Amino acid sequence: MPILSRSDAEDVLYREARILDERRYRDWLEMLADDATYWIPCNGEGSDPNREISLVFDDLKRLRDRVERLESGLAHAQSPPSATRRLISNVHIDDASDNAAAIWSGFILYELRHGRERVFAGRYEHRLQLVEGQWKIRRKKVVLVNNDEVIDNLTFIV
Amino acid sequence: MKSKLKLEELVQDTRVSRKIYLENEIFMLEMERIFESNWVFLGHESELAAPGDFKTLTIGTQPAIMTRDEHGDIQVLMNRCMHRGSTVCQQERGNSPTFRCWYHGWTYNSKGELIGVPYADGYGAGFDRRKFSLLKAARVEKYRGLVFASLEADVERLTEYLGNAKYYIDLFMDLSPLGEVEARAGEHKYGYDGNWKFQQENGVDGYHPNFVHQAYFEAQGKELGRKVMGLFTGNSECDSKDLANGHSILDMTIKNRHGTRPVRNMLRGSTSQSSGAAYVASMTQRYGEARTAEILGASNVNLAIFPNLLIIGIQLRKTIPVSVTRTAVHLLPTTLKGVPDEINVARLRAHESFYGSAGGGAPDDVEMFNRCSEGLRVKGAEWLELSRGIEREHRDEEGNIVGHITDETPQRAFYRRWRALMCDAAALQPAKPLRAVPSL
Repeated sequence: MPILSRSDAEDVLYREARILDERRYRDWLEMLADDATYWIPCNGEGSDPNREISLVFDDLKRLRDRVERLESGLAHAQSPPSATRRLISNVHIDDASDNAAAIWSGFILYELRHGRERVFAGRYEHRLQLVEGQWKIRRKKVVLVNNDEVIDNLTFIV
Repeated sequence: MKSKLKLEELVQDTRVSRKIYLENEIFMLEMERIFESNWVFLGHESELAAPGDFKTLTIGTQPAIMTRDEHGDIQVLMNRCMHRGSTVCQQERGNSPTFRCWYHGWTYNSKGELIGVPYADGYGAGFDRRKFSLLKAARVEKYRGLVFASLEADVERLTEYLGNAKYYIDLFMDLSPLGEVEARAGEHKYGYDGNWKFQQENGVDGYHPNFVHQAYFEAQGKELGRKVMGLFTGNSECDSKDLANGHSILDMTIKNRHGTRPVRNMLRGSTSQSSGAAYVASMTQRYGEARTAEILGASNVNLAIFPNLLIIGIQLRKTIPVSVTRTAVHLLPTTLKGVPDEINVARLRAHESFYGSAGGGAPDDVEMFNRCSEGLRVKGAEWLELSRGIEREHRDEEGNIVGHITDETPQRAFYRRWRALMCDAAALQPAKPLRAVPSL
């Protein structure tokens, strides 16, 4: 019965960070479980997305649409695209049971687009599930430090 | 020395000068003559549910507090201690029966009256604290829960100001079988490096969607995307309307049954048959069949209320001027009172899909505002052309000027009002009468 170790967790997070920084969105979709959600709360911690608006609350279908748009050449807010580099640290395993785990991590994300530099910081909360021998992302929650502030453009994948 | 800007020459019937987006002098005049002299939208009364609830905001660029006093009335106070100028409230939202300036401890109640002065005996006998109440908006009025204020007392009543726009506000509010929406589901906030007018123009621009939002519509699914794009083609059956006083609308009331579904879906998302049926039943019970059909058929509106409110989809959108080339935009998504939860969840999901900083559509609009701000720095090309459709407008029975949905009728409506407020009356030629075209 595989239990996720911190080193396993870091492998997943680092691989995801690299894929996203390289804008390999199809590869990222491959990392997701079929029932995955990608959630970026707005106005704070995010308690109940069914009662409060989120910046993003995507299921896999919506994520596929999002990726399709990003790759269409017509996503003007990503033309030119954001160049990003994210550093992930402070990784904790919050909960690990057979075949499932919850990971907490901190990140700093540097973004450069159209000559404008921006820095985002926050934390990731990943829930992973072992599917056919691979750790897949079932839920990715991104709590941005500035999610209650004006954000001009968050159209890249955080 | 710079020659004096002649505002009446910069904003003409079918074109506007690039200077109105770039010149700080004009921005300062806009704050004075538009935002500080007339009705501006502040928020929705459901944001202040309980006595003491407040939110801070700006009127033009001036800091203010909108709060509900102990009698339940909404007060709009200027956020400036009458002692030495500090703001008295720093939180964006909260609940407090008083506002205390922490510089020297002066304290005000929710009506703005000065109720506490530390070591008051240090002031002479002639000191009258009643003269030190916080400044207040001269007028505060509501319509269907929308709160507006005017710093100038001498303005018409809000209901008169809204005029023909009220019909469309009613349609938006009447999507609730109780006739009420709530704006308590949080707030999207984005901004851009460009003038505030770009957002107000764009919110009622039916010419841009098929280009700016093509990728979104296509990813919506081929059938649905094609139908939504059909609303904004050259042969669309939909209208744009100048509702007077600077207000305007893209009226997407569907004139044939075939087109109805995708518009409703965009607004409410998909819901189960049972909650959909329960909703329609409660609507019919409240409004009757004819009015229910009217409300649901017209449910996807883009309505602009001059100068700073847009009602689009499920949201109340407030355009906030920061500087001549910086703007913030707040979106208040609304939920419907008296409907199955599932419908409100679908509204939130539908809104997120397109709007906000990470949405699939609105950031592409914002990108265009940034691009316009950059492009308008070219000197020699002085004008932005707003003539589209002027030859085919007509007036309807309500007195609205009606254009095609892709026409620039709403933008001309905006600038007609802008001219009326900004320019000295003496400098203005009488408005060119609209050609007498019979109502359709």
